[in-house]
Amino acid sequence: MEKESMSKELEKALERFKAKSDEVPQGYFDQFELELMHKIQSENHAPKQANIISLFAKQKKYLVAASLLFAVATGYLFYNQLNEHTISTNEMVQIESLPDEVIEAYVDNNELVAEVEWNSAIESAGANISLKNN
Amino acid sequence: MTDQALITQFQNGDSKEGAFTQLLKRHKEPVFFQIKKMVLEHADADDIAQAVWIKVWNKLDGFKQESAFSTWLFRVAYNETLNFIAQKKRIQGQTKQNQLEQEMEHPSTQNGLNETAIQIKLERAIAELPEKQRFVFMLRYYEAYDYEKIASITGTTVGGAKANYHQAVKKMTELIQNT
Repeated sequence: MEKESMSKELEKALERFKAKSDEVPQGYFDQFELELMHKIQSENHAPKQANIISLFAKQKKYLVAASLLFAVATGYLFYNQLNEHTISTNEMVQIESLPDEVIEAYVDNNELVAEVEWNSAIESAGANISLKNN
Repeated sequence: MTDQALITQFQNGDSKEGAFTQLLKRHKEPVFFQIKKMVLEHADADDIAQAVWIKVWNKLDGFKQESAFSTWLFRVAYNETLNFIAQKKRIQGQTKQNQLEQEMEHPSTQNGLNETAIQIKLERAIAELPEKQRFVFMLRYYEAYDYEKIASITGTTVGGAKANYHQAVKKMTELIQNT
């Protein structure tokens, strides 16, 4: 075959190369087999890491939908709160523009209610103090 | 018992270790020597051969026997060897090449024999061959594998395997003649 086209010199060198690479320590292959089987056995007996399967794997799409819904709802509520705040600010602006007579009349009408609330607050505070002293 | 029967035994789970050990006993030497001719260092060849057989143990269940076991085994060895060489090249750079060049410049340190100089040149030439070319050459020259089988192992065409072999011979001849 192809060897015929090779120089004798190269053939010789290749034979020496083979002899060199075929050198192995005595009993090497027996030892190799023992070591390999030992490795394989220890790998087989080693506790295998269990596959982690998420409990929610099947419900994933529902969870995603729920979190989207939550995000939308939260956003909506937040937006509404902002709007409410804006309305009350508007109301405050409107009160400022009211004539003084209207405001005074409102205060006079509600003064009695405010006084009653104030007196009952003082009374309950006094009762608490006397209880502590006794 | 044939390789096929042993593989079937392994795949059926009947005495897995027994079947594997038989395959190992039959094929461990040619695989090891092929790897050693590629990497030259005994320790490296030992590491690769261990990795090859562990892979065989892990993958044999999925082997469909569409090719001979030895073809599949040498393909595993080929891939492992190439991965190892690439990894070593990244780590060591050109250290080995420099060593060979130094030996080339001072052949007298090797007993002053012309034969030794030729041998060093040959080893250098082998080391310089592209990995695929080297693997093809070793399988053809030393194992006398036919080109179809070599092509199947190295994932090339028959023509490609032939070209690889002849290029390897040409390169080595040139280096030897320039001694």
